[in-house]
Amino acid sequence: MRWIAGTLCVLPTLVSVTQAQERATFAFRGDAAAVWLRQETAPGVVQQLRGPALGAQGRVNYGPLTFGAGLIEGRLDAASGGTGGGAARDLVEGRAFVAARPLPWLEVSLGPLLRAYVTDSATERWVVWQGRARIDAPILTARLTSFVELWRGLSSRVTFPPFLAGRVQGGEAGVVYKPPRGPLWWRLAYRVDDALLGGGPGGSETVEVVTLSVGIGR
Amino acid sequence: MKRVAIALVLFLALAHPRDALAQTARELVGQGVRAYRALEYDAAVALLKRSLSEDAVGTLSTAERAQALTYLGATELFRGRRDSAALAFSDVVLLDPSYRPDELIFPPQVTNLFQEVRQATKTVALSVPPVTELRARGDRFTARVFTSSLAEVAVTLARDDGTPVRELYTGPVADSLAVTWDGFTASGTPVPSGRYILRVAPRTEAANAPPARQVTLDIDQRADDTLPWPPAPTSPALLPERTPAGPAVRSLAAGVVAAAAVIALPSIIARSSGGNDARFAVGAAVGAAGVVGFITQRPGRPLVQNIRANAPQRDAWMKRVETVKAENANRRATLRIVIRAEPLATAERTGSSP
Repeated sequence: MRWIAGTLCVLPTLVSVTQAQERATFAFRGDAAAVWLRQETAPGVVQQLRGPALGAQGRVNYGPLTFGAGLIEGRLDAASGGTGGGAARDLVEGRAFVAARPLPWLEVSLGPLLRAYVTDSATERWVVWQGRARIDAPILTARLTSFVELWRGLSSRVTFPPFLAGRVQGGEAGVVYKPPRGPLWWRLAYRVDDALLGGGPGGSETVEVVTLSVGIGR
Repeated sequence: MKRVAIALVLFLALAHPRDALAQTARELVGQGVRAYRALEYDAAVALLKRSLSEDAVGTLSTAERAQALTYLGATELFRGRRDSAALAFSDVVLLDPSYRPDELIFPPQVTNLFQEVRQATKTVALSVPPVTELRARGDRFTARVFTSSLAEVAVTLARDDGTPVRELYTGPVADSLAVTWDGFTASGTPVPSGRYILRVAPRTEAANAPPARQVTLDIDQRADDTLPWPPAPTSPALLPERTPAGPAVRSLAAGVVAAAAVIALPSIIARSSGGNDARFAVGAAVGAAGVVGFITQRPGRPLVQNIRANAPQRDAWMKRVETVKAENANRRATLRIVIRAEPLATAERTGSSP
């Protein structure tokens, strides 16, 4: 959490400095999120947890490419509806990517996603290389834009039995609003990640996130 | 002496018939006039009659024939043949009602008799220029009507099939009258091209009424084409003045599709999870954004800035239209009619009065 708070303080300054250079533009956003986690470790054994999270993401647009990184941290507690209990845990999720925009309304990106669930006794880590495609559709040109983004895991690894992840995919949709005056913009989105664990009867893990963000830059 | 001259003339005519025929009627008239002035009346009568004979028809102009007849009448009068003189003068009046013997040449007894005959001989005549071109509404075609004595006449224009076109004059004519025509029908439209009959006829059916006279007019109307209106300014030259439906529909679609994606993502991505209900709130917000976008860009709203930007182009177009309108009105008002007249003819008695 402290890392995120520090980033929130430093990045706006970096944004203004970078935007002064014509070759690159910079964008930054801070996220407030509600996270729901559903883990099915075995057939019929379901853990459900939920909790708040804070995050941040920065993007540098340099020529035709965009480089970005983001981090979200939160605390998940057991929620009603689960059959397998579920210990409270911290959620830490980081992502780095490089993106390109072949069409004005299409952005494709590639990069690793690292997710960790930290309990008092163990840490479960996920590493997934994602390929993403995002479509932007303006509602009111340059002021109000909707988007839909889908991704798929190209390769994945998990440090928890069965140590292999099967299909990993996800999607996000929402809207971005930039008021006529002021440098800030607002973002509301719903995201869902789903992974099937491979190597046996397996199970699945689904993460849903509703995010309200405020951003600066473009 | 006179008999010698007559004998000489007759001898020459009979001895050399070809030469006599070759001798023009005009020369015969000249010889007759000289004989008249030499008081050789018998020779003058013979020469003048010869010049007016059938062999010479068509070789003399109307004025020359009138002159020959006048000298013939005067000669006959001085020969003591008043009836023959009156007959010759009557032929002059019928030939040309406007003709008058020169009072410096002929003595009063000749001119007085001519006047008596003229008053007694009822005839009308019509004189038109061979070609008249009317170029504008103000231009007029002029025909001159002559009468030998006071007469009530009607001057009418009709198509060659008899269809009346316009009555140009109705009333008395004591000596002569100029009748003008502006090229239009009675209903005020320009006459179409074709053949027309200009006719002057007495208004009475009396037995001694003069015969109607008419002339055929070949009328050719040449109207200038009107100019087409300048094309109205259209987009892309003009900016759209009302919001089209496209952006509004696209906005709504963008919002609705994104909202649907929010709601449907769990069932598409994570089949094992039904999804959290919180996504409905997000979906509703995204959908509402689409509705707001649609309302904000609803079709048919006037775009004031574009309307103002288009105003100069519209005004310029309106000015061009007004210019073309004025030019077309001018062209429609411009009348180009060419009237060619054929020789005067005597009309049939039937239908001579209007």
